[in-house]
Amino acid sequence: MILGPFAAGVGLLCLRLDHPRRILVGAVTFAVCVCALALVGLPAPTGLAGFPLNHHWLDLLMALVEIGMGLYVLYVGVRARRPLIVALMLAQAGLMVWFEWTYGSKLQAAHNLFLDKFSVIMALINGVVGGGICLYALGYMREYHEVAHREVADRRPFFFALLFVFMGAMFGIIFANNLLWLFLFWEITTLCSFLLIGYTQTEEARQNSLKALVMNLAGGLAFALAIVWFYQKTGSIELQTLITSKKSLVLLPAALLCFAGITKSAQLPFSGWLLGAMVAPTPVSALLHSSTMVKAGVYLVLRLAPVVTGTTVGLMVALVGAVTFLVGSMAAITTSDAKKVLAWSTVANLGLIVLCGGIGTYSAVWAGVLLIIFHAVAKCLLFLCVGVVEQKLHSRDIEAMSGLILNMPRVAVMMLIGMAGMFLAPFGMLISKWAVLKAVVDAYPALSIFIVFGSSATLFFWVKWMGKLLEVVRPREQIDNRLGLGESVALYGLSTATFLACLFFPVISSSFIEPYILCVFGQSASMSHGNIIIMTIMMVMILLFPLSFINYGRGVRVTDAYLGGANVQSSVRFLGSQNEVQNVTMNNYYLRDFFNEAWLSRWGARSCAALLGIMLVLAFWTVL
Amino acid sequence: MLGFKESPWIIHYDASSCNGCDIETLACLTPIYDVERLGVINTGNPKHADIFLVTGAVNEQSKDVIRNIYHQLPEPKVVVSIGVCAASGGIFRECYNISGGVDSVIPVDVYVPGCAARPEAIIDGVVKAVGVLEEKHREMKAIANSLDQTLYLRADKSDAPEILALQKIAYQSEVELYGDNSLPALQQTLGDLEDDFERMPQREATVLGARGGQDGSAASSDRIIFLKAVVNGKIIGSVRGYAVDGIAHLSRLIVHPYFRRRGIGRRLLAEIERVFPQVSRFEAKTGHQSKRNLYQLAKGGYQTFKTEPFTPAITWVHLQKDQSQVPAETKGVK
Amino acid sequence: MNPWLRLILYLVAAPVVGGLLAGWDRRISARMQSRQGPPIFQPFYDVLKLWKKENIVVRRSQNFYILFFLLLVVFTGALFFAGSDLLLVIFALTLAAIFFVLGAYKASSPYSFIGAERELIQMMAYEPMILLTAIGMYMVTKSFAVHEIASHPTLLVLALPGVFLGFLYTLEIKFRKSPFDLSCSHHAHQELVRGMTTEFSGRTLAMIEIAHWYENVFLLGWVYLFFASSPALGVAASLLVFGFVILVDNVFARLKWQAALKSAWVVAAVLGFGNILVLSLLR
Repeated sequence: MILGPFAAGVGLLCLRLDHPRRILVGAVTFAVCVCALALVGLPAPTGLAGFPLNHHWLDLLMALVEIGMGLYVLYVGVRARRPLIVALMLAQAGLMVWFEWTYGSKLQAAHNLFLDKFSVIMALINGVVGGGICLYALGYMREYHEVAHREVADRRPFFFALLFVFMGAMFGIIFANNLLWLFLFWEITTLCSFLLIGYTQTEEARQNSLKALVMNLAGGLAFALAIVWFYQKTGSIELQTLITSKKSLVLLPAALLCFAGITKSAQLPFSGWLLGAMVAPTPVSALLHSSTMVKAGVYLVLRLAPVVTGTTVGLMVALVGAVTFLVGSMAAITTSDAKKVLAWSTVANLGLIVLCGGIGTYSAVWAGVLLIIFHAVAKCLLFLCVGVVEQKLHSRDIEAMSGLILNMPRVAVMMLIGMAGMFLAPFGMLISKWAVLKAVVDAYPALSIFIVFGSSATLFFWVKWMGKLLEVVRPREQIDNRLGLGESVALYGLSTATFLACLFFPVISSSFIEPYILCVFGQSASMSHGNIIIMTIMMVMILLFPLSFINYGRGVRVTDAYLGGANVQSSVRFLGSQNEVQNVTMNNYYLRDFFNEAWLSRWGARSCAALLGIMLVLAFWTVL
Repeated sequence: MLGFKESPWIIHYDASSCNGCDIETLACLTPIYDVERLGVINTGNPKHADIFLVTGAVNEQSKDVIRNIYHQLPEPKVVVSIGVCAASGGIFRECYNISGGVDSVIPVDVYVPGCAARPEAIIDGVVKAVGVLEEKHREMKAIANSLDQTLYLRADKSDAPEILALQKIAYQSEVELYGDNSLPALQQTLGDLEDDFERMPQREATVLGARGGQDGSAASSDRIIFLKAVVNGKIIGSVRGYAVDGIAHLSRLIVHPYFRRRGIGRRLLAEIERVFPQVSRFEAKTGHQSKRNLYQLAKGGYQTFKTEPFTPAITWVHLQKDQSQVPAETKGVK
Repeated sequence: MNPWLRLILYLVAAPVVGGLLAGWDRRISARMQSRQGPPIFQPFYDVLKLWKKENIVVRRSQNFYILFFLLLVVFTGALFFAGSDLLLVIFALTLAAIFFVLGAYKASSPYSFIGAERELIQMMAYEPMILLTAIGMYMVTKSFAVHEIASHPTLLVLALPGVFLGFLYTLEIKFRKSPFDLSCSHHAHQELVRGMTTEFSGRTLAMIEIAHWYENVFLLGWVYLFFASSPALGVAASLLVFGFVILVDNVFARLKWQAALKSAWVVAAVLGFGNILVLSLLR
């Protein structure tokens, strides 16, 4: 599964024509999904299944790839005159080279890859959601280059190749047990992210991609340090060993790995790169920066949860997540750029997952895994819809989406489903948030203040947006509503997935998540039977809502809105004070005097940097 | 039964009053008169109100506003004009900018005299208005309950006042659409309408000269035929048509706003078509923005063939339909 | 008492009780203003009258949101009185309120739009506190389930004084009384006509009113929960709180939304969170 997408990527690099590319993408996506689903039925449901793959040539290949990447990054850093990049890369590379040189032959892992239920879930997400995005990208990029952004060089083969290379790397991260392998794939995703953000090759894109590179390299350095230290202490380079080792022994590597995860998931103070990444085309935003790549970071943190639970290091990690959640939610209120809202919301939700990882109790991790699943699906759906809307309306501003329910009904409905999926009962995110609250209250009640204030802020900006889509103040415009095949498949598929994930969440929970938690912690959390029934009832009630439209318009008289009696022939035009006809305009509240985005991110970044500093100091302390 | 008497909600509008009557109206809400104990709430919103209190005489600016607010009041509704200015223009009656009392714009049900009207009189007026409200509601309910017993009959001259009142109410929605109350339907007076029952349509008479129209024994095609939809003795819909030269011209298809969307208009159209079996073509016209009418006519098989600007705001759209498309039916209108 | 019995009792009795409470509210307010005031059953007359009125709309789909608002409010109260998870009850209430707000947005009129935005700000203002209330109750009784909280032997308010006071503050918002009747006040029609309810009439308006009755009964039930171990005290406290809310309504003028949001959050942070912090340190 890892190699398949890689091969596809290479193949795509060669294809310049659209049609064969579509066939290849479609075929590979389908194959990936099938494989992911097949994993579900694998005969080792609860334990680890190790695959010893000790081929010498594989190690050599990996070393070569690493060196190649390192050199490329150095080249980029030098050309962009960013000493920080050069320094970080040199430090990282130097460390790894020394490490492998010194211990070369002894660096063997019993199991290089492994599989458990958590991996299966991640694989499903990566395969299905990621695959959906690739399909979507087919139609989207064609429109992008041929119509909307003619000025951007058409490097589509490169683009799609990168998408698939990235997918392969993600699978690598998910399945790797050998920390060196994990590191390699981690770095590949960093590089892919850098290349994809800079795809449009504008000045802004370049700056943002370099920012992403710097931050992720910092994480990579921490990763490298972690590996070295771990090996020094225990003589092993396996992830599972790390997880099951004695805490006092491995706290430092765990802390460093959490640091790496935090940079990759764009928590404060590293959120800048995610927000800046919105300049890239939508499939990039969706794939890398909401559904899959950033999930790699939180995946790592959740994996390490058994190690950090109950320690101050864990508390620091949890605090970083909590502060990020609060700041992200509040900052999202102030902006009217749709993609920025989604970016901040992503940062905030990842903060919640990091919070779960930091707390590390079985109920917290259960909540965290649920959050990963539901967030991936819903956020991806939203990003894809916003991409379509942006193409049709030529604007990313939420205010421009007024009345979308009339102009682009299907897309608007899917957006509403996505948004409901992000915060509304009985959809998945709500279930997860509920679980988080319960976990937090049991472990560190003081952290609940962050969640409580943050979740009320999320309510505001989502409903504001939903209302904007519903209100109708302009006559219907004719917009070319047609969606390409790939886009339709992705969008409809994700909407159904959002619904199904909620409806079948008890099944998902009991067959995937709970066994994993049981395995790791010895006990598991779940939702009580009664509550499941209630959730189902609520879901049914919501599903009834569209049915109420059957009796649409019967027995009612349509009049105009009340404009103080000054209506001029409609609900939206009125006679103003100078006796001239004026239009009604309604813009949302952005509360910018109340929540200042710059102030929030500055202070959030400072406090989180301080927290991370404390965390690292404490971790070092334990080994002294 | 419990109803409007216990909970009359008002909306109060000042057309061009000196505020004397307004102050007295609002004084009713104060502790001395405390009209809330009767259940009255002064809502600022026509959609929540039952009773429309208007003070002051009507000038150009307030005409549209009054009509706007009136149209946004849900049925059943009553209008109370407070003070002598609202009743007839008062001492400002002769002024160049005043077109009269409130009843020059909308139908008024209760007049409260006075300058300024005293709170006791206002409360008395509101109580009377509540009585009218209950009346109206009873009527509407009775009609709504017996809609299946709607009779479609020929109308005659004695129905003219009722048809005219219905016309003015029904065309309110068109005025809303076009913002223009110079529609001929609204300008028609009772005398005009009664004449319509007697004679041939004006235009055709002059074109044809002396031919036809005078001998009362001529077939129904020589006169304007009026049909009415009647429920419980109340006319809730009407249509008229006349035939000239093998073409039947249909017009003024009106249904009371409260009973729309129940198939009455469609039925009236079908019935009037059946009155003219001998013509080859039917013609109708409506305003270009009257989407509802256009839709109904299209559903009845009509197609647009001509547009004709009438005023800057209104463009007539002429539609036609061939006789052959009229479904043959055995029952006709007596 | 059997949860099913409680549920049915709620479904049937809550509108009656809620309507009577609304009637008493108007009468007491009138007496405070040296007026007579309407009869106690006035809200019922109002609803019956509204039921008979014509239904006029601006957008044809706007009324469906209100129908679901009503259904979900009833569902919320039913959940609460049947004794299920308190957090779930809060989330269901949020869902109901969102349907109301979406309906106001759908009506596409400036007044209902402003009402909707302000309602969202109000929701943002009270949500932290009610979540902290649930958390506080959990910390004392070790359970989120309402029936377990209700059968807790000690008087909750003694362990949760800060939370209780904060909750009272939020009740002022939830009951839509001055100083927080920002979004669809009965008295604000000089400022925003009827706010969120501007474009609803007839049966839909009646449904909104009935939904508010159900909601008020549910909220007073939650107040009762603070005193659950002694039922007589609980009922008395609920009624007293209701009277207190009316008093504050008549004494204060409406605040601007900035002040409402700020003060509610400060109260939630200081009183609510402070209480919880103390409890967690004492554990």
